[in-house]
Amino acid sequence: MIDHLLPLLVAAPLLASALPLFVAVRSRWLARWLTVTALVGQFALAAVLAWVVYATGSVSYVVGSIPAAFGIGLFADRLTATLGLLVASGALAALLTDDGSRSGPEYALWLLFVAGLSGVVVTADVFNLYVFLEISGLAAYAMVASARGVDPALAALKYLLVGTVGATLYLLGVGYAFVATGTLAVADLAPGLAAAGHDSTLVVTAFVLMVLGLSVKLALFPLHAWKPDAYAAARPTVATVLAALGSTVAGYALVRIVYDAFTVAFFEAVPALRILLVVAGATSVVAGGLLALRARDVRRLLAYSSVSQFGLFGLGVALATPLSVTGALVVLIGHAVAKGGLFVAVGSVARRHDATVVEDYAGLGDREPLTAAAVAVLGVSLVGLPPTVGFAGKWYLALGAIEAGSWLVATVVLASTMLSLAYVGRLVERCYRGGADAASPARLSTDGGRVRAIAPVIVVGAAVLIVALGLGSSALAAWFEPVVEGWL
Amino acid sequence: MTDVTSLLPLAAVAVPALAAVLVLLSGAHPNVREAWTVLGSLGTVAVVALLVGDGATHVTPLGSLVGIDLALRADAAGLLFALLASTLWVATSLYSVGYMRGLGEARQTRYFAAFAASIAATMGVALAADLLTLFVFYELLTLATYPLVVHAGDGPARRAGRKYLAYTLGGGVLALTGILLVRVLADTVAFVPGGVADLAATDPALARAAFGLLVAGFGVKAAVVPLHAWLPAAMVAPTPVSGLLHAVAVVKSGAFAVYRSVLYVFGPETASDLGVAVPLAVVAAATMLLAGLVGIRQDNLKRGLAYSTISQLSYIVLGVALLTPLAAFGALLHVVAHAFMKITLFFGAGVIYVETGEKYVSDLAGVGRRLPVTITAFAVGAAGLVGFPLVAGFVSKFHLVLGAAAAPSGVFVAAFLVAGLLKLLYFWPIVYVAFFGRSDGADPASRHAFAPPHAATRTGSTSHVPGVPVAADGVSVAADGSGPHAPPDAENVVPTDGPGRDAARTAAIDPASRWERPRGLETSAFLLVPVVFTVGVAVLLGLVPTALPFWELAETAVGEVFG
Repeated sequence: MIDHLLPLLVAAPLLASALPLFVAVRSRWLARWLTVTALVGQFALAAVLAWVVYATGSVSYVVGSIPAAFGIGLFADRLTATLGLLVASGALAALLTDDGSRSGPEYALWLLFVAGLSGVVVTADVFNLYVFLEISGLAAYAMVASARGVDPALAALKYLLVGTVGATLYLLGVGYAFVATGTLAVADLAPGLAAAGHDSTLVVTAFVLMVLGLSVKLALFPLHAWKPDAYAAARPTVATVLAALGSTVAGYALVRIVYDAFTVAFFEAVPALRILLVVAGATSVVAGGLLALRARDVRRLLAYSSVSQFGLFGLGVALATPLSVTGALVVLIGHAVAKGGLFVAVGSVARRHDATVVEDYAGLGDREPLTAAAVAVLGVSLVGLPPTVGFAGKWYLALGAIEAGSWLVATVVLASTMLSLAYVGRLVERCYRGGADAASPARLSTDGGRVRAIAPVIVVGAAVLIVALGLGSSALAAWFEPVVEGWL
Repeated sequence: MTDVTSLLPLAAVAVPALAAVLVLLSGAHPNVREAWTVLGSLGTVAVVALLVGDGATHVTPLGSLVGIDLALRADAAGLLFALLASTLWVATSLYSVGYMRGLGEARQTRYFAAFAASIAATMGVALAADLLTLFVFYELLTLATYPLVVHAGDGPARRAGRKYLAYTLGGGVLALTGILLVRVLADTVAFVPGGVADLAATDPALARAAFGLLVAGFGVKAAVVPLHAWLPAAMVAPTPVSGLLHAVAVVKSGAFAVYRSVLYVFGPETASDLGVAVPLAVVAAATMLLAGLVGIRQDNLKRGLAYSTISQLSYIVLGVALLTPLAAFGALLHVVAHAFMKITLFFGAGVIYVETGEKYVSDLAGVGRRLPVTITAFAVGAAGLVGFPLVAGFVSKFHLVLGAAAAPSGVFVAAFLVAGLLKLLYFWPIVYVAFFGRSDGADPASRHAFAPPHAATRTGSTSHVPGVPVAADGVSVAADGSGPHAPPDAENVVPTDGPGRDAARTAAIDPASRWERPRGLETSAFLLVPVVFTVGVAVLLGLVPTALPFWELAETAVGEVFG
């Protein structure tokens, strides 16, 4: 079974997604537990993969014994393993906080989403990546719409249109790359594109289209408009899994395409594109932060915060030095954990206290001290203060930028701390306000629904993980070192 | 000094942190909770005393963060600061108990827990062995002190908290940039007495930028003009917070970090080669004088003390910037001396507030009658800050002035002397009004000589009971001390037998002499004992400076920097 671990990682949730459809007709409870079991199994597979990669190095696999240059190759290195674990655990944690009134198709969509994401993570074929990107995307659109109502439907439609355009752009790019090299396998694309000439129009166009398409999924400014609507309109659990995993896996795809297919040599041949990517990243950081300042709805605030954080990620990728790419990866992982935890908290507050705007969070510190404290810690990670992983990401990014002589990037990275402080501070301050002050009593109502007991546990767990990753940031960077060295 | 690996430096940080957790857990039992605070403070002093007593330098490696090895190292300068902070925490814990209970404050669990956490962070700043460790604890200190600044929970407190965070975290960003530049320049961020070798060898311009960023970033907490504005605003916090944290731990962390940056990262030779120390000295001298001038015009007692702190901190920064052994020695001594003296003053202001409800100097005419010990302690502390002999401030100022005299220009000596004069002008009205004023406000002795009276209530012979609106004819509405509350004012949580009880009672009896002599102890022992303790230590340091370990520690520290 170990030999077929990689395809199993995709096939298992894909096949399992059919089960809840039928089982739910008889028993919803059983459908839910089937899904949970499937996700637990997925987590186990991802854990085994991580162990295998740690013990023996990267793993490759070819589907159907057709050589990878023509068929579908799968590949797993340390980054893959990390993302695989993240996808499985994030989906599992989010589902556990669900209140259990989902229908069979919704559970099926959940597993399809996980299958699609896992596919993106393990594939070594650029067209295959498109396929899985679309699978996860379609599942995501449907999950957003499943909240039922005008806003979710509109948000899902917007997400669908923008997402499809992005995926199509990516596909066009894949097409051009295929025309240039005759292969779709990442490992063969690298020499193929080099042979075709990195500065040739064909290759440059391929790069621009592929990166543009992925930037839509990443929601870099100004392609971000779908994100706040989708996160605000979706059900809390769906928003959690989208925020934690959706753009994260797209970021992974970006890093793979840029460094495994096009390689650093491409940036050296076409420096203008590196500058373009830097500008896009920097703009996202600033624009995301400013938009977050003005957001009233907490989920929109967090969505704009994601735009800003992925801007930081983009900056790290664009700078192409070992330190900055390490920083980009640390930011990616840290952001996924922090946003996941924050959305779980936001979801439970929305359900229990019927509070969705920042003003309504007054008094959370008194009513739910653990959740509020965990939200504060996760917020501190978004701001980038030690000893959280957010600080570690910013340190690597800024150090990499300074060593590369890119003062603009360093300034943007460091100044983003103040922007993040402004919008995170707004939220955290609100949580600890009210209660003792007779003039403005706590507005937090208690006539919402019940929330699963595991929700605060997950939020606190995310906060603990954030600090642990921060304290272990050297180990995290060392974990990614072989991957980064291989690229640069 | 040999380096010994041990857990004691970590214990100095862990004991207060553990106390914070225990306080949080025992919130339902106030006496147990207070016991944890007191035990934690005594434990911390014990650990630090062990470190001071031992000849070797203890080091605790803390693992690796972002690829840099962190460590705690209990060297002489660090132990000086750690001993200071831990000793004053003992005094402040007792004082806090008396203060919080005397005013019936809310959220005491959060207060005591945040206080302990702040001390843990301060220990980390003191004992940090490199810039990154110092930075981590420095930022944690900001986060731990934020709940204390916004303790009152109302509008002014929240605004002060936002200003505090914006300034201190903004300073943190500048400092982080400086640390990154140092890392790029020297490949290390460790503290080396006398400076990291060849820091400026590769790129002097970048080194100058690093210096400026580090000093500006840390200078925010050290309240160097123009980065000082958070400090007067933060005075809305409860007085023990203002006392320990904003006159000792937070601002001293800033000054200490500047000390480390100038003398342990750059070192005297590199700093003078780069020519960066003189601008710093000029800024510090300007801060001393400007803050001194502004302070004179403050009628709010705590706000005036805040400006005095800003001014006095720049004595330390100036001492560091002069780059001579005597000046650095004076700076280290002043860290200690100013702490004991200033905290006495804040303790005194707190006692005044608890017992009388007054915050403004012009309302304090003749209060020396009511609080003789407190006001005497206040006067002694004030005298020390001015620089009168026999109190601690004289010794440190003496060395600072001598160190300044060795500098090429005599302007810094003049700055010290003028600043001393400004201090005198600041403190004298307060002491005079307190002892010689009459509460009917008729004669000039009853008003602050330089400050415009505060906007609120003082009109002729009426007394102001805090929290009670003054009716049109100027006579207070209720004579029994309770009554409808005025629109919220940060510190006026008024129970019926708390602040203002004397004012209300004596207002009804005899408006001309508001204060009667105390029967028995003038205030709770929890409040009085710390006041007497800190002023006593200040006098001890003035009479026999070598009696306490601080002198030797400062000597050792200066010796290892200047060789």
